[in-house]
Amino acid sequence: MSAGADAGFGAITPWRLRFPKDLRLIPRFETYPSVVSFAQTVPGKLALIAIFGVGFYSNPYWLPLLTLLVLTTALPAYRRILLTFGALLWPFVISWRVATPSQLIDTALVLIFAGLMFDAAIRFPHSWFGRRPIVSFLGGFGVSVLVVSYLPSGGRIHFELWQFLTILSLYIWFIGYSLLDCTSKGRDDFALQLGTYEPFWMQVSLYPPLPCLKGARYLRRIESKDSEQLAIAQIKGAKLLVWSFVLSVLLKVLVRIVHGYLGIPTYPEMLAFSVPRVPFPWFTGLASLISEFLENLLRVSVLGHRIVACCRMAGFLALRNTYRPLRSRSVAEFWNRYLYYFKELLVDFFFYPTFMRYFKRWPRLRLFAATFAAACLGNMFFHFFLQMGDIEKFGFWKTLAGFNVFMFYTIVLAIGIGISQLREPQEKSGWFRGQLVPSICVAGFFCILRVFDYGSTSPPIQEHFRFLAHIFNLVS
Amino acid sequence: MEPKLAVREFLQNLLARKGDTQPFSDADSVLASGRLQSIDAVEIVVFLEDRFGVDFADIGFDEEKIDTVEDIVSLIG
Repeated sequence: MSAGADAGFGAITPWRLRFPKDLRLIPRFETYPSVVSFAQTVPGKLALIAIFGVGFYSNPYWLPLLTLLVLTTALPAYRRILLTFGALLWPFVISWRVATPSQLIDTALVLIFAGLMFDAAIRFPHSWFGRRPIVSFLGGFGVSVLVVSYLPSGGRIHFELWQFLTILSLYIWFIGYSLLDCTSKGRDDFALQLGTYEPFWMQVSLYPPLPCLKGARYLRRIESKDSEQLAIAQIKGAKLLVWSFVLSVLLKVLVRIVHGYLGIPTYPEMLAFSVPRVPFPWFTGLASLISEFLENLLRVSVLGHRIVACCRMAGFLALRNTYRPLRSRSVAEFWNRYLYYFKELLVDFFFYPTFMRYFKRWPRLRLFAATFAAACLGNMFFHFFLQMGDIEKFGFWKTLAGFNVFMFYTIVLAIGIGISQLREPQEKSGWFRGQLVPSICVAGFFCILRVFDYGSTSPPIQEHFRFLAHIFNLVS
Repeated sequence: MEPKLAVREFLQNLLARKGDTQPFSDADSVLASGRLQSIDAVEIVVFLEDRFGVDFADIGFDEEKIDTVEDIVSLIG
């Protein structure tokens, strides 16, 4: 099963209840012919939009989000144009009150720069840039950040260049997906590519580092082609939105029980106690770590589900970002189920290029090297350049050195995924040995690894090891 | 064996190994639909390299090129 096991337009078949396997909290409405027919009518569409209206009511962008959903529902033929309109609406219309004029100009310059690169990659396919647009772009971006971070600060040139790079850092993966689309047979022109530069459904989440859906190439494949497909996508979107609210209630209950009723501090609080040697029982530390792991899973699921639900409502039947991660029976499977689009980003930009070019004569090394390039180097690259504020404040190398804990995290993660992929799958019979034990081991691996999932503001790595030893009662 | 049959048989085995025995047509997506993952795409790549001498380092890799039986056949054809 995959992150998107619930996706696909599929055939509508009469539904019969087979207890308990088919028992669902939210029934598979998209398989009910009467529901799909109703969703194609005006009252049906209004009902679906009303669900999203209620669901997004607490979002500060409620009105523009809902307006765009109404427009994409009413005018499916103009869906992609509306997507471009939506992507430009936020930086240039909605944010204009809070953004400075120079930020608006730099945003426009970033988009023009993206258009020029897109055009260059198509016009000059045999040039160095045309053959390797991603390496050129990401490498050029990294070097530019390094150079500009060491220009004398305080000057106008430094300020303008840094602001341009900071805004560019918000768009690099969207631009990267556009550049990947340059070689596609039916690629979209740049006007439509713009719609994938932070599509409007990303505004559902106010938690920025959650990765985007894939680019225009993916959107073309998952776009609804007729009214029945649109109805199915929208019903699935509404279901996912409702499910996200069920999970958010579960998250609130978990937080209330663990941190309220049981009085267990959060994991960052426990780590902060551990650094100055404030005594606490080892089992409290362990409980806080397990709780942090579960809370994070729920938080990521809720946010991802809301983004994907909005995307589906707009007519794109995207796969889920998170799909039953605790059912994973291997480390690689968990990685695929936990943050599907982040994993896909690393696969598209780091795994495939490495796999296609290097170590072709050594199959196992080839797979391991590509996995390492994605899960370690790509992961580091992604997270490091999210810290543009720290890079400006502390300098490039100092910020990179501060990433040593996260670097350790990515190395262990890459080794774990690499070994998991190289191992032959062992089919063990029975629910206990075949499902439960592997799932607990995998969850345990990721739970422990979370001790090191810290960015540049982390305490020294030895404090993380000490905390880890303490929660297993190995040191006092 | 005819390329199309070989490709279909390979994909069928790959899906079956993942417990997916649902039928699929030559135009059905296996990757974008989520039935197969990136790690399975890697197996398809290795199969195409070994069996048909396809070199993705030259032609550029794109999951879209190996998403259906038809896509793969047009790639190797």
